[in-house]
Amino acid sequence: MAESILEVENLRKYYLQPRGLFSPFKTEKRIIPAVDDVSFYIKKNETMGLVGETGCGKTTIGRSILKLTPVTSGRVIFNGTDITHLTPSEFRPYRRQMQMIFQDLDAALNPKMRIKSILTEALTVHHKLSEAEINHRIEELLEKVNLKKSKLSSFSGELSGGEKRRVGIARSLAVGARFLVADEPTSALDVSIQAQVVNLLKDLQKNLGLSYLFISHDLRIVELLSHKVAVMYLGRIVEMGLAGRIANAPRHPYTRILWSSLLKKKSQEATQVPSDQHDGRWGVFDFERSYSGCRFAPRCPVYEAKGNPAICSDPANAPKLSDIGNGHKVSCHFPLE
Amino acid sequence: MNSRPVLKIENLRTFFYSKGKRAFVRSVDGVNLRIGKGETLGIVGESGSGKSVTALSIMGLVPGEPGVIIGKIGLKTDNIQKNLLQDLRDYVKINMSTGRIMEVYKDNVGWQKNVDRVMQGIRGTEIAMIFQNPKLALNPFIPIGKQITESIRINTPIKKRSQARERAMYWLAKVKMDSPRLRYYNNPYGLSGGMCQRAMIAMALSSDPSLLIADEPTTGLDATIQSKIVDLLADLKSSVGVTTMLISHDINVIKALSDNVAVMYGGTLLEHGPVGIILSAEHQAKHPYTAALLESIPREKHIREKGYLQAIKGDVLDTINIPLGCRFYSRCDKVTEKIQEKCDNHEPDLREISSGHSLRCWLYYE
Amino acid sequence: MKRYSQYTIEVGDLWDVSFWKKADTMDLIYIVYGLFIVILVVVSYVLGALSLLPHNPQEINLELLMAPPNTAGHLLGTDFMGRDILSRLIIGIQAYFLPGLLAIAIALTAGTIFGVLAGYWGGGLDTTTTYISNLLNSFPRLVLILLMVAAFKPDIYTIMLVVGVTNIPAVASLIRSKILFLKQKNFIEAAMALGLKSWVIIFKHILWHNCRAILIIQATLGMAEAILMETSLSYLGFGVQEPTPSWGNMVQAGANYFMQGNFWPSTAPALAILFTILGFHLLGDGLNNILEGKRG
Repeated sequence: MAESILEVENLRKYYLQPRGLFSPFKTEKRIIPAVDDVSFYIKKNETMGLVGETGCGKTTIGRSILKLTPVTSGRVIFNGTDITHLTPSEFRPYRRQMQMIFQDLDAALNPKMRIKSILTEALTVHHKLSEAEINHRIEELLEKVNLKKSKLSSFSGELSGGEKRRVGIARSLAVGARFLVADEPTSALDVSIQAQVVNLLKDLQKNLGLSYLFISHDLRIVELLSHKVAVMYLGRIVEMGLAGRIANAPRHPYTRILWSSLLKKKSQEATQVPSDQHDGRWGVFDFERSYSGCRFAPRCPVYEAKGNPAICSDPANAPKLSDIGNGHKVSCHFPLE
Repeated sequence: MNSRPVLKIENLRTFFYSKGKRAFVRSVDGVNLRIGKGETLGIVGESGSGKSVTALSIMGLVPGEPGVIIGKIGLKTDNIQKNLLQDLRDYVKINMSTGRIMEVYKDNVGWQKNVDRVMQGIRGTEIAMIFQNPKLALNPFIPIGKQITESIRINTPIKKRSQARERAMYWLAKVKMDSPRLRYYNNPYGLSGGMCQRAMIAMALSSDPSLLIADEPTTGLDATIQSKIVDLLADLKSSVGVTTMLISHDINVIKALSDNVAVMYGGTLLEHGPVGIILSAEHQAKHPYTAALLESIPREKHIREKGYLQAIKGDVLDTINIPLGCRFYSRCDKVTEKIQEKCDNHEPDLREISSGHSLRCWLYYE
Repeated sequence: MKRYSQYTIEVGDLWDVSFWKKADTMDLIYIVYGLFIVILVVVSYVLGALSLLPHNPQEINLELLMAPPNTAGHLLGTDFMGRDILSRLIIGIQAYFLPGLLAIAIALTAGTIFGVLAGYWGGGLDTTTTYISNLLNSFPRLVLILLMVAAFKPDIYTIMLVVGVTNIPAVASLIRSKILFLKQKNFIEAAMALGLKSWVIIFKHILWHNCRAILIIQATLGMAEAILMETSLSYLGFGVQEPTPSWGNMVQAGANYFMQGNFWPSTAPALAILFTILGFHLLGDGLNNILEGKRG
């Protein structure tokens, strides 16, 4: 078994939301558990896929790992070191090894800087390089991400979506990152360009031995790229396991709904949700309800089919993420067969 | 294809002047389309292919100053028969040389007046539109029910408020909004994207339009909500049967809802025909672009084998510098040596290769 | 009647269209005029400093009181004490130039610091700086200046100090809102993820690449503001004191004779003020439109 490059243990991120005109004077604030008790690990040279709908906390996990947002509790262990409580200056050396590809195409690109100076900056953050070395490395990078050399003198506004994405990837590689958090890297791209980027990420993993945390709402692309997949719902992982098993034999009702809605494969028993009443609130925290029981219950076809069993809505009895064999973990009282 | 057309577009060209680049962006460049009564036409294309601009041109809503629409858009409904672009040609003078637009003179004020005169009684009444971002298209501080009621009173013969209200309730129920009587009073800002889209669809259909234009109705929604909206649109298609022009970049959506499909690329149609021929994996004779698009979607096969996707090389066509030859030539991987010369220098025309199926590719011409 | 607007294609490489060609003609005219004024001001300052003047500005000539323009070598005439108006106009720049720069320097430096503190770190710092700037904004500037003048002495540097300090909130809020806008675009976060140090992000990515245009524009507007302030105070008798000439006290002194038909002693400095301030404002406006774009 290969060594794990990243371990996340019991990660929690709660946001405090002030509410109302007098909120600054209130001590009591409502808590939004954006990420609630999430644990997983990523092995070297492997990809972990993280799927879920808008607002389920998948991006927050990525940002917490890179310490772009402070965590409430839990630990992030990178290459055997606990990086959760490092000060910014202690953490700087680790920035060299882990990078993020942002969902926003323009994120990595200062609009007033030319592509060449963007890449030069990334190359020289952690190393001192001579002019010739910089040019050499930039050429290498461009080759790695299939970008034309003529684009070096342009500004980010002059690039197409696919090119921007490539520059973003090149920038992450320039630092020498071994681990990339890819936050929806294809969602802003066209179908034909999306395929190019997916292939590029695959190639880079093969050639450079990168590890990814691949965050996306598109289960198909996640399954295609990942070795392991975790499905998130409202801040919790509801199912986790090898990509093949998640794709072919999902056990959690939510995963099955996700699959069928993507591939338009109507498997009646899983997609039949009796009414549309939760259409609006799905995937978003509903503050009026307590989230202590099974969070998926209000939307769950199994819950409905079994005649609303008490165990699902019991606040004291939240389902635990339990192993059902071969490292396939499901958090459900009644996992599907 | 045998029903009489509601909308017939002939040689539509829409272009804009980009001040930053001092050039003309030819967003739509010679599009011919017809939509039969009761039919759903799906338009597929990537960003910048001109599909949204086509829709906006039909509505006469060309964004950005000096947008110029030329060609013919014939609308023929039970009440109205007119060319939506009539007399517009008088307000512009265009100088062309070697296929490029060099100079345009446009009387912006007169143009706008004429568009407003022609489109009066058509926008919202005969042609309704669903936008990509329902949250932006609805006024966030007016209850959705009120907005629909107002739209009904403006666009239909129902003028009495109480009747219009009942009608709005009916449509809210029709789009499967749960408890429409409660939702009637909800403001859009408190509703989710899926809900707003439902309200938007209700509003568009409530005016009983002859043509519904749905511009990316599912983009930006979560996957599970997306499939629900698609189901809803499919339901409405069978129960209401409104003639629809559906625009999307998502092939699955188009496949689920359309009768005919038009594939757009670089401002023009590359392929046009029944959905069964164009978007089915089995049918072989199709435009290389369509084929490549279908291939680039991850399928179960790829996922099982962890294989690579079939990517289309290169980048989406920049509609400022449109090549002389085939627009897809630089990205096409099916060019043979025999036709290479033609592909590079001559643009193929849209030819019918079998009944109802036409495409623009030298490969299929003798 | 059809009124056509013309749109013409630029032949050549599309990305070769230069920066200046993209600009509006009007903006270019503004900038050219503004630069002309700036150069004129600088040249006048240098001439004044080197005493290269047509006449001695302090020399009283009792034979030529209130001479109209263009008499006996006095291009703009003389004032009620027979002093050459042109020379006094040129030497008058001395009263503004360095104090104006001081005011700008104070406003820009402190404004940038507070803006960065509020925008970049936010939180409590943001609240504090906002309160401070609200406090400064709510205090009438003229009253503050009069207080200072009364407490110390009617010195142009004291006045400009106050002008500079009272301009801090405006600059700070501009910088702050620009940073908040940039933060939405995520590239600051990306730069942090890259491992760049905070000061590199602030100075390079934020201030140098994205705020320099704002600062230049604020500098031009600040100069106009300083001149205007000095003028109003001198007119009221609180600014630069006679016999040191400044445009404000020249207008004030000349105004007494305006109704007698001797318009030039007050009109010449008044026009000088008008065109100079207009120049600085148009320069700022033109630069703003070109560098920042009309919309933002």
